[in-house]
Amino acid sequence: MTGTITSDIRELLAHPATVATIATLDETGAPYAVPALFLQLDDSGRLVHPELLETSTTHRNLLRSIWFELPVTITLFSLRGRVTIVRGKVHKAHVSGPLFSDHYRELRSRLGDVDLAAVWLIDILEIIDDTFALRRAREEELHPFFKHLDRLAVADRTP
Amino acid sequence: MTLALKRKTGVAELDEVSQRYPDVPRLIILKADVQRRGVHYTEAAIKLLDPARHQVTGTHIFGTRDGVIALRPESLLLRDGSSIITTPTPLDENPYVVDALDNVPWLFDRGMPLEEVEYWPAPEFYSKTSSSGVPMKNIVSTRPQRLNIFPYRYCTFWNNGNGCAFCDIVAQMKKGGKELNIPAKLDPVEVGEVIGEALKEQGRFSAVFLTSGSIVSGARPFDDEIDYYIAILKEVGKHFRTAKYPSQLIGTAFEKSQLQRLYDQTGLMSYTANIEVLDETIFNRYCPGKAEWIGYQEWKQRLVDAVDVFGPGRVNTGIVAGVELAGPHGFSSEDEALERTLAEAEDLARQGVSTVYIVWSPRPDTPLSGCKNASLDYYIRLARGLHNLRLKYRLPIDHDGYRHCGNHPDTDLSRLLPLWGEKL
Repeated sequence: MTGTITSDIRELLAHPATVATIATLDETGAPYAVPALFLQLDDSGRLVHPELLETSTTHRNLLRSIWFELPVTITLFSLRGRVTIVRGKVHKAHVSGPLFSDHYRELRSRLGDVDLAAVWLIDILEIIDDTFALRRAREEELHPFFKHLDRLAVADRTP
Repeated sequence: MTLALKRKTGVAELDEVSQRYPDVPRLIILKADVQRRGVHYTEAAIKLLDPARHQVTGTHIFGTRDGVIALRPESLLLRDGSSIITTPTPLDENPYVVDALDNVPWLFDRGMPLEEVEYWPAPEFYSKTSSSGVPMKNIVSTRPQRLNIFPYRYCTFWNNGNGCAFCDIVAQMKKGGKELNIPAKLDPVEVGEVIGEALKEQGRFSAVFLTSGSIVSGARPFDDEIDYYIAILKEVGKHFRTAKYPSQLIGTAFEKSQLQRLYDQTGLMSYTANIEVLDETIFNRYCPGKAEWIGYQEWKQRLVDAVDVFGPGRVNTGIVAGVELAGPHGFSSEDEALERTLAEAEDLARQGVSTVYIVWSPRPDTPLSGCKNASLDYYIRLARGLHNLRLKYRLPIDHDGYRHCGNHPDTDLSRLLPLWGEKL
């Protein structure tokens, strides 16, 4: 992870058209992905994910992640088709104190009468650019066997 | 070199135990062990303590293991949001060490940094005084998400010397009264005033908690205790717009009619009556006041009766885990203690009553002060056993979990109980 890439994440998250999802693992190991509507990046480069409900599957999976060191994956989709995958490790759940209170007040000012279960901090371990155009170019360059032959065939001249 | 690093002697026991119990989170094992062994704060750790931002010791109903009242962190928060409610312990008893690492408090064992921790944040009302001039923190204290009301810092079981053998409530009251200006008995109106002030802080509290020593007097035994709780909860209730609000009372085991009165007249939502030890013989010996006034079997029956009043999943009992092994009258082995304790807990669970434990930390001003608590293995096995009973009998423990209490490793495990009430 570089400073430049982290700043890209910050820029993506700041853009209102960016769609973010967070994928966690449940007790069977199955992935569970949901929109991460309030995702932010803090000054130290950690992702900040508020969870509103104590009983949400994602909240419980994040707890499982911090207990058993299971990975989480955040996906950012930009308006221009850029896809960024962030692999992370859960660092901490804030359930009280200034950081928690700030998010509690902010969320209630935006959403009305909602509650907040925890503010999760996630360490970024790896950032992957999964944009289709980039992935396609890389695959065609490095794996020329992975394509259907009709794409390479001489154009059909039958009238 | 810091004290923590000077004490480096080898591999942490925590890691060995963690490897034996891969299904139990290391953070919960650490929590149980810190409760078991206590903590020592280095000077560097104390320097990180800011009474304007953090809670400091002094307001609790029970004392410390080193018998000292001094400016120290009230307790610790772990990274998973759970608390470690622990007590400062003399260094010669081999406590964990809290020291500063890069200006952040960390738990150390044998010189090795184990976990980053956080001091409990101070609520805004702690800087204020009540209308009668008492510091508000001496009327209502807090945990990270809970408001604590300790209205009566005396237990009348001690009137004839029949207090519980592990309890220092009376000794702590005397210290608290002299050194900290904490009222022994709170004025319900003043409690209400402080609760009103506390609720101004948004996003801070998710439960009201009430406990005191037993009060045997009244037309029926403990009627005065019930009346006092009702008076306080009514004053507290004036600050809520709903008839009921998330709340827990730890009280004596009351008769069903008393419980019904308590439920009907207040906003109380859950009830806990601590049986302390799940064995009748040991109960009679170590809890002579409870045995004298109620008795072991009747205590259990009253817990079961309480489920009819408060509902399934909202009644539980607490045990002081480790006293069942203490002294010549305790169980002779941890295996026997575990088997007998879980059998009794299962008898309660099948009737809708959950059991939770706290790790017993022997305190200096108690008859059992010279005894040791149990092994870390024992506490982990007990946590698993009690959690598994909640799974088997479908008993949620929302009112006594990490948010509202934080003192029970077994209810930490139950943060991932199935959500039985939901059909997804």
